[in-house]
Order: sequence, then C-alpha cells, then structure tokens
Amino acid sequence: MENPVRKSLLMWLFLSPLVIVILFPFAVMVSTAVKPRVEVLMYPPRWFPSEIRLQNFVDMWQATRLGPAVMNSLLVSIAATVLCLLVAIPAAYAASRMEFTGRKLFRQFLLVTQMLSPIVLVLGIFRLMAKMGFVDQLPALVLAYVAFNLAFSVWMLQAYFQTIPKELEEAAKLDGASTLQRLRLIFLPLAAPAIGITAVFIFIYCWNEFVLAMTLLRSPEKSTLTLQTFSLVGGRYQVEWDHVMAATLVASVPVAVIFALLQRSLVSGLTVGAVK
Amino acid sequence: MGVGGAVHRAKTPSNGKIGRASAPYLLILPSILFAFWIIGYPIYDMANMSVHAVNRFGKTAAFNDFANYQRLFSHQLFIGCLIRTLVWTVFVVGGTVLLSVPIALILNEKFFGRTLARIIIMLPWAVSLTMTGIVWRWSLNGQFGMVNATLANFGLQDTPVEWLATSTTAFPILIAIGILVSIPFTVTVILGGLSSLQADVFEAAKIDGASGWQRFRYLTLPLIRPFLNIVLVLNFIYVFNSFPLIWVMTQGDPANSTDILVTWLYKLAFRYGELGIASALSIVMFLILLALTIVYAALAMRNERSTA
Repeated sequence: MENPVRKSLLMWLFLSPLVIVILFPFAVMVSTAVKPRVEVLMYPPRWFPSEIRLQNFVDMWQATRLGPAVMNSLLVSIAATVLCLLVAIPAAYAASRMEFTGRKLFRQFLLVTQMLSPIVLVLGIFRLMAKMGFVDQLPALVLAYVAFNLAFSVWMLQAYFQTIPKELEEAAKLDGASTLQRLRLIFLPLAAPAIGITAVFIFIYCWNEFVLAMTLLRSPEKSTLTLQTFSLVGGRYQVEWDHVMAATLVASVPVAVIFALLQRSLVSGLTVGAVK
Repeated sequence: MGVGGAVHRAKTPSNGKIGRASAPYLLILPSILFAFWIIGYPIYDMANMSVHAVNRFGKTAAFNDFANYQRLFSHQLFIGCLIRTLVWTVFVVGGTVLLSVPIALILNEKFFGRTLARIIIMLPWAVSLTMTGIVWRWSLNGQFGMVNATLANFGLQDTPVEWLATSTTAFPILIAIGILVSIPFTVTVILGGLSSLQADVFEAAKIDGASGWQRFRYLTLPLIRPFLNIVLVLNFIYVFNSFPLIWVMTQGDPANSTDILVTWLYKLAFRYGELGIASALSIVMFLILLALTIVYAALAMRNERSTA
C-alpha cells in the first residue's frame, strides 16, 4: 500500500518551504560573495553574476583584517574549551558517581546557572572585568565563556558519565589499580566521546558568541570573528556587501560543516544532556 | 591478591574515609568558585547598584529608596519594551513549537534522503545568530535584497518593500527569523521524544481502528508531553534573552519599534549611561528568569525521576 518513492516525495514536499527558507540565506551569501562589486549594487538584483569572482575572498581577507580576527577567535575558543573541560570533568565525575550531602543541591545549582544568559548580566560582568583590569583583554572573554558554559558542560558530562558502568572501575579496584590508574586507564577512555562532544558544543558557543565580545573588547585588533564581521555592517553608511558576505561565509562554513558531519552524535549527545 | 588488597584497605580505614568524604567537594569546588566569581559577583554588584544612586561612570552613592526601580517602571519606553518582549517571546516560542512538531513527525518517518533533510533542518543552529542576522539584513534590503527580487520574480510583489525600515513589517520579520533559528533545537528534542516511543503500541492502536489523527492526539501527544514542556520552557528562556538577531538587524529601530527589554537594556547601560535604571532592569529580568528556571528545574527533575 505504501509506495516508498511516493512517500519520500510527499515528505520532501511538506518540508520544502522550510528547506527553501533555510537554504535561502546560504544562497544569498554565495551569490553576493562572488559578484563583481558593480553587480552587487545593481537594480534589479540577480542571483547569477556575470563572472564568478573568487578574487573577492582575497580582497576581503586583506581589506577587513579577517585573519587576525580568526586567530583571536581560535585562541579564545580553544582556551575556553580546554579550561572549561578541566573544571567541568571533575565536577561531573563527582556529580554522577559519588554520593555526598548536597549533591542534589549542586545539580539544582547547575540547572539555575545554565539558564542565565550573558545579556542579563553583561553590565555586571563588564564592571567585574573593569575592576580586574581585564577590559579589552582576550582572557576576560575566556573567563566569561568558561563561566557561561560550565553548567551546561557539567550537566551534559554527568548525564553521560552515568551511562558508563561503574562495575568496570570496581573490578579494576579489586585488581589493585589505584584511583589515578582507574581514571586514566578505564574511565577517561570510555568518557572520551562524551568529552569530545561537549568540547564541540563549547567551541561552537565561543566561536559564535557576540554580546560579551562586543562589550568586553575595545580595540579592533582584539576583535573576534563575529565582532569583526559585525563591525563591517554596524554603524556604517557604505557597507561593502560583497566583502561582508564573503566574511560571513568564511565564518559560518567551517562550523556548519563540523556540525553536519557530527550531526548524529551531537544531537544524541544533546538529548542525553538536555532531557535527562 | 584480592585478600591482600582487602587487608590493605582494612588497615587504613580512617584515612580512606576522610579522603573519600571530602573528595567530591574538592572536585566540584572549582566549578562553584568559578560560578560565584564570574556570575555570582556581577549579580550582587548589580543588585547593589540598583538600590543606590549611581553616576554615569558607575560610582555608587547613597541608598536611594528604590528610585532606580521607580524610574525604570515609569520610563516612557518601559511598557512598550515589556509588551514587545512578551509578543516576541510568545509568538516565537509558539510558532516554533507549532512548526516543530509536524517537522519532527516527518523526520521521524523513514524516507529517502532523511539524513540530508535532518542536516539541512539543523543547519541554522550551527551558524551564529550574528551571521544569520547580517545575511538576512542584506537579503531584506529594499533595493538590492534578494527577498524583494524573488517575490517580484514570482509576481508576488509590485513595489519593493523596505522590510526592516518599515515599522509594520520589521517586527513580524524579526519574529519569523526568530522562529526559523529556534526550530533546529526544538525539533531535536521532540525527535528525541519520538524515538523513545514504542512502535507496538501504535500498531495495536492501528489494528483497533484508530485513525492517524487519533493516534497522534491520544497517543503521540500525551507521550511526548514531557519533551514539549521542556522545549517550551527552554525556548521561552532563550527567546526572552535573544539579543544578537535584533541588534544586528534593526538595533531596535525604526523609532524603538523593535526594541525588546534586552536591546533596551544594552542601550541603557552602554549607550545612554543610565546605569541605575540598567541595573534595576537587569535585576528585574534576572528575577523573571529565575522564576522560569525554577519551573524548568521542577520539570527536569520530574522527568529524571520518571526515566530513572
């Protein structure tokens, strides 16, 4: 009765409006990014340029100082990811495998801090960083990113850690392995995929973050990628849209590709973390 | 070996016990210190600032009888921003969930290209809101934007519309894009709920003659209820706080017609130097969020109990 080809066509037909709206901005990015400048501001605008100008990317890279911004973003994102994991893994280990008074309280504390968004606290955070002399310093951003990812990371990691059977560690304990050995040889290898997925989420958060970067950074040479791209648009009379679209492509495509490749494990990771 | 180990453990009971009792606290301590330092202190600082007279450089003076709160609530823009925040949140969250349920149902079916469909629908999640906002701002440009061009090509439009510069279209457009970027996360969670359902129950209902709609209404919907509750609360919190889209696309313009509380808060704090009002607003929003979070925590804990 059910014809799989007909069913597939029907499913795609239902999804098509959404698929079009999702792909539309990507099409706009590509189309504008490779247009010669005169055609960018031509009326009526057209999807297909007269020539595909890849030189735009080279020009953009120099004119918009995107290189240093990419470096800053990489630096901040990697540092924040590593630091966040270093703080979160022990906490998640304790929250998932140890019995202690106040464990429930700690988990509630995590849930509450997870909900706080930077924008509501941004004024206070700015003042804190100013007091510590960290304004316009990349470490300020790293500290803030760690703080805003901690609860989520601990929460997600502990949900995963619960699925790793305790019996393996207990068996190793009977065989005389020390705590450190048990952690290094048994627990961490089993937990590695979970840690990897959490790391990807933290990294993407940092890579894409905007409010804190805009508030805490001042000088253009400290800008992260999102901030630098925004500065090409915000508060300007003449926006060079071909450069802007090339920059958004460069900023978005790597993350989108990582996301697409890891889609299955990221999604299953999140459902373990978010729902459980 | 085993006996030796047992003896060895038995020999140092007190040491071992102390180590074991304090170990979990040592392990969670860094995360707690971090949270108190970077999140707790700013909250305290803003709460303190909100009940004192404060100049535009952030120097606090005497306690001022909640004058900052009075000025906030009587500010001519406050009610407008509050109402827009509610409209924004309700429409984006409502629209997102209404669209996400059927999408998740479709993606839960088996069909050719399902993996590709899932990847495409998750795509907006990976791109930062800032970039999404920038690209849409360009696409919606009245003269050179591809939205007008495409609508005109299909004969749906006679004269180009300046979508983001017209007060009647700017806010609905922002809401639509807000929905678009909230769909991936919502679909993901609902899909997680759908995949936990057992097929035999549905087979049984089918054999008993339940129609597709009946199965959805009386089986699927109640069973994914806990997941819907969670996406509703989480989305409510996310959307309530959503800043980059509006900031990048309109900055609250034209004439504050797209300002919501968060964008107004940013302007108060960093553009107008109204630190007293800004800190009062931050605290008000923090309390609203706290209330929402308690709802969420209750839901999450209840789920955890039922699945454990």
